[in-house]
Amino acid sequence: MGRVEVRALGGVSLEVAKGEFVGIMGASGSGKSTLLHILGLLDRPTSGRVTIDGTDVLALSDHRRTLFRLNRLGYVFQDYALIGELTALENVYLTSLVRGASKAEYLKRSAEILRRVGLGDRMDHRQSELSGGEQQRVAIARALVNNPSILLADEPCANLDSQTSKSILDLFARLNEDLDQTIVMVSHEDWHKEYFCRIVTLRDGLIEEMVECRKEPHPGGGEAG
Amino acid sequence: MPVLAGLRVSAFLAWKSIQRGSRGTLALTIMIIALIFVNLVFLPSIISGVVETFNTQSIDFDLGNLVIEPREGSQYIDDVTGLQRKVERIPGIAGATFFYRGRNAASTLYGINPEDERSVTRIADYMTTGEFLSNGDTDAIVMGATLAGSEGEEAGGLPSLQGIGVGDSVEVAYPNGETRTYRVKGIFETQSFGVDTAAFVTSREISEVLGLDNQASIILVKTEVNGREEEYKTEILSYGIQEEILTFREKSGGFVDQAIQSFNIINAISTLVSLIIAIVVVFIVIFINTVNRRRQIGILKAIGIDQQIIINSYVLQVLFITAVGALVGIGLNAGVTTYLTAYPLVFPGGPVYPDVEASAILRSIASLFAVSVVAGYIPAWQIAREDILSAIRG
Repeated sequence: MGRVEVRALGGVSLEVAKGEFVGIMGASGSGKSTLLHILGLLDRPTSGRVTIDGTDVLALSDHRRTLFRLNRLGYVFQDYALIGELTALENVYLTSLVRGASKAEYLKRSAEILRRVGLGDRMDHRQSELSGGEQQRVAIARALVNNPSILLADEPCANLDSQTSKSILDLFARLNEDLDQTIVMVSHEDWHKEYFCRIVTLRDGLIEEMVECRKEPHPGGGEAG
Repeated sequence: MPVLAGLRVSAFLAWKSIQRGSRGTLALTIMIIALIFVNLVFLPSIISGVVETFNTQSIDFDLGNLVIEPREGSQYIDDVTGLQRKVERIPGIAGATFFYRGRNAASTLYGINPEDERSVTRIADYMTTGEFLSNGDTDAIVMGATLAGSEGEEAGGLPSLQGIGVGDSVEVAYPNGETRTYRVKGIFETQSFGVDTAAFVTSREISEVLGLDNQASIILVKTEVNGREEEYKTEILSYGIQEEILTFREKSGGFVDQAIQSFNIINAISTLVSLIIAIVVVFIVIFINTVNRRRQIGILKAIGIDQQIIINSYVLQVLFITAVGALVGIGLNAGVTTYLTAYPLVFPGGPVYPDVEASAILRSIASLFAVSVVAGYIPAWQIAREDILSAIRG
């Protein structure tokens, strides 16, 4: 048996404006994660174009793509993807360290973000000492530490109970509203729709529907912290 | 991305991995590297010790630094005292002694001038019982502990008088058929096989029996400085001496050089095997480490950490393991060396003390680091270049 070619995405054209909170939804296998992987420069499409802040990112070399991920993108994985040997604080400041920030600078910034996501008292705890929701908050703090142009989140609430999921979505809403943070989030939960400014629904690798929804600030938004 | 920042992150990741990784695996790996280091240093130190022992034993007890032998075709050196005085006047010469040498199948009898002998060899300092000969002694003999033997000793391949002691009488048969009886004045033990199976009487005794007239079989020359025998040989030759002059190494007929060559082959094989073991151990440790952290490596790349930083973090871990392993190895080696200095290995040429040369340590450290870095880099590079999503999915 030879290889079977699977077309995960085809003909998807999407533009995300600065400060938008876009939800990408669809059934399992619809191509949501593939789209996010391509936007996060974790995967390459066989054809097409991805432009972020005016840069054709698919034309970049591997090294430049790495730098682009470091400086311009923040990625939140479904299963947190923390480095188990590091504390919450170390996980957050690791990428600042790569950028050559001074110790005082990266410690201050990382601690500030951890406090913003509600983990001011858990900074020195390692992954195994944190709950699922706390781990996801650390992952969000890590994604935000370098002031990314876009925060990409791949089903960040998939492994969390509904209460914790709500707190994570409230946090996203606050970041979007307070900091004008652009967020593209993949989800398959219907109740998440109320948080998104725009919902892109995929089906079999194609955009089935694109809906503008929330116009007013979400009730979960407001003062961060 | 600044290079220094990259190195700082590599060091940070490496240190956290060492600090918070498996202590048992770390300790075991360090111990293996330490033992490999000991193996790399130990054999050369023993070879060096053998050479040193041979040199010291030869100079101190057997041959001095230089040997003057009769001219070609002559049995004896004639006017030996004249030649002895001439050599002694040469700058840098500490002393010269001549002797007649008579051999049978198993042992050797030397006729010496005791005071001259003291200026060249150190046999007189190694008396276990009794005293060394004096110039005025008559009917006295001193002998090595092996030749004197011990009571009830089993007959082996070595000459033994089965427990002769100081004050006992021994009968010596000379090549001309004459026999003489001597009283044992002392017994020495130098641990040099050739010397401890020999016996000494004064040259006057032998000259009387054999009718020698200011003649000797050989002159031994002691120089003020060891290791410059070739220079002194040239110097003595420049004084127009017609007798044959040999350094102690030349006199030993290349025996040690051949032994050293054989030792060096064994050492090369042992070094190669040790380094292969080091490569395999480091490779396996880093390979297992990287395979277990495949997902972590994928995550690091996904959040924008360059592949080279990740590889370097593993290389730094290897450098740490090798550095600590080498330090532990130096400690272990110091322990082994101290023990073997207190309880030396006994070789036929004398006691062998490990002679650890700084160059051997540096060579071992350099080769260990070189192979470890290569063995650590390859598995780290293999995993780090993997596609991000495949790595994250494990």
